[in-house]
Amino acid sequence: MIEYRDVVKSYGGKPVVKGINLTIQEGEFVILIGPSGCGKTTTLKMLNRLIPMDSGDILINGKSIKEQEPELLRRNIGYVIQQIGLFPNMTVEQNITVVPRMLKWDKERRRERAKELLALVDMDYDTYAHKYPNELSGGQQQRIGVLRALAAEPPIVLMDEPFGALDPITRDSLQDEIKDLQKRLNKTVIFVTHDMNEAIKLADRIVFMCDGKILQAASPEEMLRSPADDIIREFMGKHVQRVHMEDELTCSDIMRHRVATISPQRRTLECVELMSQREVNSLIVVDDDRTYLGIVAIEDIKDRGVAGETICPLIRTDVPCVETGQHAKEAFRLLMDMKADYVVVVTPDKKLAGIVTKSSMSKAMASALWGEG
Amino acid sequence: MTLQHFMDTYALDLLRAIFVHLGYVILCVSIGTVIALVLAVLLTRIPKISRFIMPVLSVLQTIPGIVFIGILFLYTGMRPRTVIIALSIYAIFPVLKNAYSGILHVDDKYREAARGCGMSQWQMLFSVEFPLAMPSIFVGIRMTTIYLVSWTVLAAMIGQGGLGEFIYRGVGTNDNRLILMGAIPAALMAIGLGALLDKIQKKLTPRGMREPEQSTQQSQLNAQEGEI
Ligand SMILES: Nc1ncnc2c1ncn2[C@@H]1O[C@H](COP(=O)(O)OP(=O)(O)O)[C@@H](O)[C@H]1O
Ligand SMILES: [Mg+2]
Repeated sequence: MIEYRDVVKSYGGKPVVKGINLTIQEGEFVILIGPSGCGKTTTLKMLNRLIPMDSGDILINGKSIKEQEPELLRRNIGYVIQQIGLFPNMTVEQNITVVPRMLKWDKERRRERAKELLALVDMDYDTYAHKYPNELSGGQQQRIGVLRALAAEPPIVLMDEPFGALDPITRDSLQDEIKDLQKRLNKTVIFVTHDMNEAIKLADRIVFMCDGKILQAASPEEMLRSPADDIIREFMGKHVQRVHMEDELTCSDIMRHRVATISPQRRTLECVELMSQREVNSLIVVDDDRTYLGIVAIEDIKDRGVAGETICPLIRTDVPCVETGQHAKEAFRLLMDMKADYVVVVTPDKKLAGIVTKSSMSKAMASALWGEG
Repeated sequence: MTLQHFMDTYALDLLRAIFVHLGYVILCVSIGTVIALVLAVLLTRIPKISRFIMPVLSVLQTIPGIVFIGILFLYTGMRPRTVIIALSIYAIFPVLKNAYSGILHVDDKYREAARGCGMSQWQMLFSVEFPLAMPSIFVGIRMTTIYLVSWTVLAAMIGQGGLGEFIYRGVGTNDNRLILMGAIPAALMAIGLGALLDKIQKKLTPRGMREPEQSTQQSQLNAQEGEI
């Protein structure tokens, strides 16, 4: 648990954080949002003592951060910055294991950890571990930035506009990934953004700051339904781009881009392994040019799978399926009617585009709801 | 005296002079570099002292070598250490200037990331700031080395050997051949050491820090692959 108690910070007599009180539960995904210059970064960086506070206190699990060595404190708190800041003189593996190295993990353990971490974001160890940051795309770089923060298994991760510099598609898939990781690893995340879409998508709780103070701290749904202040309402109006009604949304607007896929030539065991790695109970089957073939589910492998055989005979094609251009409503109807976990979205030429899940639905409903209000 | 005869007479002397010269250069560049790096770190950590150190060094720098060695000679005598002290001091400045600006120009995002990872000041210095300032430090070392090859000629002024011996003797006896015998190896030494340092630098620079050419193309390629 993290507790901010009357935290104050001024620069040259000008207060920029004016008495913040905030309690964050373990495993919570908290978003700090607000206009530029309102003190989000300062609030965040006081937690790992990159910025000293003037008065007040911050407790982590009841213990004041002032009682801990800043360096030691920071090794227990992951930190991801917008400018990514991967060390250009180090390989991907060296970058990821910076903190473990300082914690004196032995080489073997560091290597294992690097493999584990790269697998979390579906990057192949042999392909990427020995690349340098400048040999990666922006999205890949920030994935490594996130892994670097996660490396020593800190319970808390701080992120300061981590996806702000990425293109929208990459940003979207990184958002999915980070949310997924946060839930799977049960991290407490404090995430700064000025993008309301991002906040709604990711947050368990949104903390709206303005002029060094917290105006409202609430779940995305609640903040959308009843913004506590005109500034918040206006901010959301300006920043929520997808406030169309539900029926203006298409499936491609609301789908998740990142889905676990597998090729039909894979064998059952590989398939099971991939499922357990990704913690899913079904995979989408696509051939080499991403043409959608069906899905393969863990029950079918259990019931009818033969070790060593390919998954070809197990592919199901009776899953609900929509096209990218169809109304989102259609996907929702299918989700509800067929009690499916997800609906597959394909392009007009039958290539896999993404999936729509219940959580994509609630996100879309949230913005639609606010759009009406 | 035929050229053949001339060479026979001086070959051994020349060989020795080259070694002595090279020895001075390598030793003094090394000492100067170490001092320069220490000073550069101090300067970047405690900016206030740069107001003191920089002017002192640049004044020292402007004193002609001949005067400086002459003065130092009065105190430390006609010994190799006079030469070593003087040349080492001269070696400091180019390295210091480049190392200082190299460290100063390390992008703050790397410092922020380093601090955020929990690095101490020293860890940050050795694993981030020095490596990132390395190209600039190397420019300084290269410059210093080349200067020092010519400044070491002064060693002969107080009888401490090196290629300067030939030059002074040549000037004294008005023998151009002797002058060339000192000057040509010195010039070659400067070129050779410069090339050697370039090689070392190339070897030491991690792939991630080499200048664009293919690496940017590579990253563009990666960017196009994109992600679904
Ligand atoms: N080092 C500093 N010195 C003086 N003023 C600063 C410094 N850092 C931030 N500020 C000021 O503090 C305010 C809050 O900054 P910040 O926390 O970075 O805002 P945000 O992250 O919400 O955009 C801004 O007005 C900014 O100009
Ligand atoms: Mg900020």
